[in-house]
Amino acid sequence: MSRLFFREALCRAMAEEMERDPRVILMGQDIAAHGGSYAETRGLFERFGAARVRNTPVAEAVTVGLAAGAAAAGLRPLAFITYLDFLMLGLDPLVNYAAKLRFKSAGQLTAPMVVKATAGAKGQGPTHAQSIEPWLMNVPGLTVLAPSTAGDAYGLLKTALRAPGPVVFIDHKRLFPLGGVVPDQEETIPVGSAALRREGRDVTIVAHSYMSVVALEAAGALSKAGIEADVIDLRSLWPIDWDTLSASAGRTGHALFVEEGQEVCGVGAELAFGLQERVPGLRVARLGARRAPVSASPVLEAYTIPDATRIADAARRLLGKGAA
Amino acid sequence: MEPQLGTTFYDVSMNEPRVDLPQRNIPDGAERHRRLQALLFLRQFEYALLRQPKPGFQLLSRGQEAVAVGVCAELKTTDPLLCSGRSIGVALARGVPAGGMLAELIGKDGGPNRGRAGRAHVSMPSVGLFGAHGVVAGNLTVAAGVALAQQQLGTGAVTCCIFGDGACGAGALHETLNVAALWQLPLLLVCDNNGYAVSTSVRDGLAARQVIDYAAPFGIPAASVDGTDVDAVAAAVGEAVAAIRSGKGPRFLDLQCVRLGPHSTLTREERPPAEVQAFDAHDPLRIYEQRLRSEGLLDDARWAAMQAQVDAQIAQAEQFAELASWPDAAEAVLDV
Repeated sequence: MSRLFFREALCRAMAEEMERDPRVILMGQDIAAHGGSYAETRGLFERFGAARVRNTPVAEAVTVGLAAGAAAAGLRPLAFITYLDFLMLGLDPLVNYAAKLRFKSAGQLTAPMVVKATAGAKGQGPTHAQSIEPWLMNVPGLTVLAPSTAGDAYGLLKTALRAPGPVVFIDHKRLFPLGGVVPDQEETIPVGSAALRREGRDVTIVAHSYMSVVALEAAGALSKAGIEADVIDLRSLWPIDWDTLSASAGRTGHALFVEEGQEVCGVGAELAFGLQERVPGLRVARLGARRAPVSASPVLEAYTIPDATRIADAARRLLGKGAA
Repeated sequence: MEPQLGTTFYDVSMNEPRVDLPQRNIPDGAERHRRLQALLFLRQFEYALLRQPKPGFQLLSRGQEAVAVGVCAELKTTDPLLCSGRSIGVALARGVPAGGMLAELIGKDGGPNRGRAGRAHVSMPSVGLFGAHGVVAGNLTVAAGVALAQQQLGTGAVTCCIFGDGACGAGALHETLNVAALWQLPLLLVCDNNGYAVSTSVRDGLAARQVIDYAAPFGIPAASVDGTDVDAVAAAVGEAVAAIRSGKGPRFLDLQCVRLGPHSTLTREERPPAEVQAFDAHDPLRIYEQRLRSEGLLDDARWAAMQAQVDAQIAQAEQFAELASWPDAAEAVLDV
């Protein structure tokens, strides 16, 4: 095992997959000599050259379209979207072409591509901060991954680069500088498998991406007050690991769904409904961003996005123990 | 849970009638007969489609057949062709068997995509039809990606994308032109310019005086061509394809043609009646028939024989489509 920063784990996954499969190419803004907006492609341009590590103009529609077409025609492209917000500009080729290609061609064409997009609020304001994962979960044909640890980032990105169809791989600005353990041996993590990060008995807290980190912090605080929480890191938003969720919720009888994005039609709304169908008598609650754009002001941003205190309070309310 | 793997795809019989594909060569008499017969085949096929009990929501190619036939005449099967939702003529000219195409259009299992794709999304990569796409301008960026793959894999293939004049106001065209020029992609962009985006004329919808003006700022060589003249189309496409194949980067063609009918089988005709009537003089089939007659390459007997042969082929295609089964409803969730 070695310790790597999240961004380094991504870089190692890309390097290994590019070494393994010459069809893998990278395309995105500032990924070549600059080394990536988050320093996550550092060294790849020098190692693999300009044909496989391509800077693109600031044009997300053609960036995603290039990836979709190149994938359909035999490459395995990874397209970088600097802020998940900007994927809105590239949704047409992703949703209308890539996600439907296998179905509409009756299996003759597929689009084995990855869109890596960076979500999350970190002081950059309304259009550099959104978490719109549920939009993507809503699309048949898309696999949606959102790891929170360096090890998972490594294993899941490798899986994404081998997947038979389009994958949206969502990372988070606050995760890049975090360190974590990455296996020395090559390893992949299957899609649709959640991770139980912490075991408790009273309540199941379900999160993904950076909110998994915050949920663990909240679980620590709850523990001091005698409440023990399971914390499940979804890792894969589609497909969903219902087995892991059901096993935990079946034990605790209470599930709190936490996300950084909006609650309305959110990840929590979908999971709470699905889990209640599977776990009779389950009590559920959800917590997401307040219904407002994310501000660039640290005060306003912090008020909008869930934090450990709000998560712990929501868990107490769910358990009928009142807020602290 | 792994995403579902593709099912074995339907093997459309290549023995069923299809267009006798025009060849890439000097247009001698035999080739010109093939071109005329292809134009006729496309026209008669669409009449057969309209005779179906439920033809559905279709965008017909009537008036634009010379674009389809002329472009396809100059592409190899290994050159991926992407097109817009006005795909019927293009698919037939590319060599999709007529029976399978008809089945696909009405949603039956005998189509190349088992009836799932229909007009707007039909594809048959084995004959070089990489696919139609129902989003106006939606296929342009994808075509750039297909061209990038050809460049990267060193296949030597030219990727061709046919789109309507309506796509010329969309940002996707300009992003595609930029990248195609920047990376010198082996990409032929063909504007199938019928002058109208549903009811909005090119004059009312596009600021440029002519669509080739959009290629100019990117340094992409472009030409406007009479898109009702199949020989002129084939000549221009042949020249462009040769340049692209020799590594000279992307090309842009504006093929000006007419849409003889309304936008779709379900759309009201909104164009001025006098203008629509005048289109008859630009009917590519009649123009070509008369030209071959005037050049002594066609007489009544030859024309009658050609019509009889096409009619028989179309009748066979209709029978194929009629006998094709409807897909099992459970297929609706396969290959997702």
